[in-house]
Amino acid sequence: MINMKRARMVACLIVVAALTTAPSHASSPSLADRVIEHKLANGMTVLMVERHQAPIVSINMTFGVGGVNEQVGQTGLAHLYEHMAFKGTRSVGTRDFEKEQAVLDELTQVGTELEQREREESARAQTEGKASTFSPALQQLQRRFKELQDKAGEYVVGNEMALLYQRHGGVGLNASTGKDITRYVISLPANRLPLWASLESDRMAHPVLREFYKERGVVMEERRLRTDDSPNGLLYETFTSTAFQAHQYGVPTIGWGSDILSLTPAATEAFFKTYYGPNNATVAIVGDINPKEVIALIEGTFGKIPSAPPIPTLVTEEPPQRGERRVEIEFDAEPALAIGYHKPTIGHPDDFVFDVIDEVLTEGVTSRLYSSLVRDKRLAASVLSDTNYPGVRAPNLFVIAATPLAPHTTAEVEAAIYEELERLKTEPISAKEFERVLNGLDADLVRSLRSNSGLASQLAFYQTVAGSWRYVVNARDRIAAVTPADVQRVVTQYLTKANRTVGVLVKKIPDKKMAAVREVQP
Amino acid sequence: MTYGSHKGSGRRGWAMVEGETGMRKKAQGISLLTILLLLVTQVTSGLAVDLASKDPRTMRFPTVDFNPPDADRVVLENGMVVYLLEDHELPLVTVNATLRTGSWLDPADKVGLAGMTGAVMRTGGSAQMSPEEVDEELEQLAATLSISMGKESGSASLDVLKKDLKRGIQIFGDLLRKPAFEQSRVDLARLQALEGIRRRQDSPGSIVGREFAKLLYGGRHPSARETTVHSIDSITREDLVAFHQHTVHPNGIILGVTGDFEKTSMLALLHEVFGDWAKGTVPDVTIPAVPETDFKSSAVRFVNKDTSQTHLRVGHLTIKETDPDYVAVAIANDILGGSSFRSRLFNDVRTKRGLAYSVGSGLRASVYDQGVWLMRAETKLSSTQEVVNRFVANMERMRNEPVTDLELEEAKEAYVNSFVFSFTSASSIVSRLMDLEYDGLPKDWLQQIRDKVVNLTKEDIQQAARAHFNPDRLRILAVGSGEALSKVLAGFGDVKEITLAPES
Repeated sequence: MINMKRARMVACLIVVAALTTAPSHASSPSLADRVIEHKLANGMTVLMVERHQAPIVSINMTFGVGGVNEQVGQTGLAHLYEHMAFKGTRSVGTRDFEKEQAVLDELTQVGTELEQREREESARAQTEGKASTFSPALQQLQRRFKELQDKAGEYVVGNEMALLYQRHGGVGLNASTGKDITRYVISLPANRLPLWASLESDRMAHPVLREFYKERGVVMEERRLRTDDSPNGLLYETFTSTAFQAHQYGVPTIGWGSDILSLTPAATEAFFKTYYGPNNATVAIVGDINPKEVIALIEGTFGKIPSAPPIPTLVTEEPPQRGERRVEIEFDAEPALAIGYHKPTIGHPDDFVFDVIDEVLTEGVTSRLYSSLVRDKRLAASVLSDTNYPGVRAPNLFVIAATPLAPHTTAEVEAAIYEELERLKTEPISAKEFERVLNGLDADLVRSLRSNSGLASQLAFYQTVAGSWRYVVNARDRIAAVTPADVQRVVTQYLTKANRTVGVLVKKIPDKKMAAVREVQP
Repeated sequence: MTYGSHKGSGRRGWAMVEGETGMRKKAQGISLLTILLLLVTQVTSGLAVDLASKDPRTMRFPTVDFNPPDADRVVLENGMVVYLLEDHELPLVTVNATLRTGSWLDPADKVGLAGMTGAVMRTGGSAQMSPEEVDEELEQLAATLSISMGKESGSASLDVLKKDLKRGIQIFGDLLRKPAFEQSRVDLARLQALEGIRRRQDSPGSIVGREFAKLLYGGRHPSARETTVHSIDSITREDLVAFHQHTVHPNGIILGVTGDFEKTSMLALLHEVFGDWAKGTVPDVTIPAVPETDFKSSAVRFVNKDTSQTHLRVGHLTIKETDPDYVAVAIANDILGGSSFRSRLFNDVRTKRGLAYSVGSGLRASVYDQGVWLMRAETKLSSTQEVVNRFVANMERMRNEPVTDLELEEAKEAYVNSFVFSFTSASSIVSRLMDLEYDGLPKDWLQQIRDKVVNLTKEDIQQAARAHFNPDRLRILAVGSGEALSKVLAGFGDVKEITLAPES
């Protein structure tokens, strides 16, 4: 997933420099020279690249917070906050904030008490073996909650922030939450940058958690859609939580269902205050801009926001795995397979070796696993790999995933994958294979420069997870320096049975007997 | 490197359901140079005021007008149309081809023929090279080459570094003109197609999309029919050879070349590669209309699948892109549910009620075939009835009262202000010209659409909604836990179950 592509992207700094020295396009300096960096006194980092092809600009705002920063019992909080960040501020999204605030405060108080009591009464009913009927006091709270929710709704201007972006021609408005980072993205006509600065500095300083309980319901639907009803979603959730038993990487970013349903406005507010300070933010802006003016704009808006205390450091480390772990997931779907090996993350010399292994095994139709499993033996319908799953700020997994081609089984595919991993030791990668890896790398670096939003994403990503966007400037050369012996050593050291987790999606048809064609009368 | 949408990272904040209006866009205006100068001035003057105190709700900016560079159009002697647009920013060249063929030509007993032909044109080698040689050379050059077939057209594309341009285009030309369809690759494509059939009922999202198309068009229509084990098994290598010979001709191809090349030498190269390819008889795209009697009625159907959510589609067949009402319907749909955050369905079903993550409406239309208009959502079983009720209520409101002045203004501003994003690269500019020519639409078609959008009135929108959001024709499909679903849906009509035959 991210790492290799990221590595490629930023390493393009070098490649482009080399390529653009050709006389036909000598005008554009290398990207490395084109990135302009600015740090605000409050700790916020700004990265800019001018591209004047069209009067547009892409902005990627990345915070160094994600699923790893959550506490037990509050999984899904980072993602829920990301949803809440679209609800507006003290001025945007409201008809009258002062009146609204009073209602919201009471709603929070009643909602929190209501849910606490519901849990208590349900638990009591369960212990006593009774059907769960709520007490009159609780029913009173439920009525009050409903009233307050309706009243609060009267002050809301729904999705006003998004609406403003759309009216001004914004496209690609979105946000995403990962294990390590949370990102907010938009592309705009270039002259609308002041709108962005105004809206985003406002939500960094004064977000309001309106429509909280409704949005929690939305997130539950998102979980059902992405995970509960998705064979792959469930396979990876279970597989990942099996591979990581101590580290937070094992917890689904969207959160466990029961946790999502008990998240409170207070916890969400506290999460915001801890992790959303300007000192934990990087913004990358790529497009038709004048950097001096952009800096002035950002200083005049974000610059007024005070720095937050440093974010708490994470302490939990995943202990070494001592023995293979296998897990099955039953689902009404055709079988699939995921195999993961613990490995160090970016910054470690062996991570570059994994980049090479990843490419040699699954990149393209001439790769070892594709040509062997899919093209020649016809055991698998697809095979893929990922060198940095599910995050990059802590040691992670090298994952190989495949779907068997009927009538072959996941067991056959698994055995064939292990054969190819052995072959990496016995049959060192050839000069031609290595050349293909580097050519692909160099070309991808050039291609990644085609998109303003892609470039902004890469710069902000490395600035956030590696401390500097320059981290990857050397990545291409580090990968180029990998030797076949390195590959053999790394395969022997990491790709062992004891260090692996295997997740298998197993077909199970629900017991429900389905009638033949059947009509249901209303 | 990536393996799908399941990774722990990258949780989306929300979904842009059905995208924008779906209308193609084209900008016009003054020259590029003038624009850039203008822009700098605007930004400068914009920043001169005290922005920190500015209210984002009252900010106003001039429309960014932008005249994208125009492409050259050349017709080779054999009828192949070529668009060329140089762009020297990066040392890359992209070649896209649209082929006047497609799966609408599949014989009824060989559904999947076009798709397999496209797949094996790419993988099966050429008269000059074995499949392995093609793959090896392309990947050694880090070039990407793809060929595929859609319903109304085929497409092929090449993306190659400038230094490998000549070799890349030679291989591209060989595969288009003289694919070898090597038997081993035909067999592989057949196995892959069969595996696709086995897996297409794994996810409720795949079931609801395919079954809804069948419910609207009927199972035998080119827009809904599907491959079967039998149809795939009956397709032979000779069928692929014949399909290619009969449908892929230079006079049926529109080629678009963009990137770091020089026009004269590119044309010389294209003459060398394609010049001696003889013309053939090119079929006109003809898609049968669904008889009015088959889509006038409403219907309620469900598919029983053990899921935690009900996957809902509610809609009916609609007009073609060339219909005079198209622009008004597109903007009506935009306000109803086509514009994500801004739309009524998003605000009502998601924001206010918290009943769905992904909700909206969509309008898909082409110049060849009846379009589809639909509302969609996924929601838990217990809120299914409420969501369908909201669909119907919002549709009725579009019919029964005019949209507000503000809604119409927002829709127009969003359309006009985001226009520039349709022309961000040479390849997007050329792709649009190719599409318009393929569909027989005038080059200024998109300017015409923009002018129509700007001039729409509330009355136009309501009239379009009354004519084209039709409660008497609504088809409702739900995929979910069947036992309860049938009861939940009972209020909307005579509920019938669609029983899926097992695919494996």
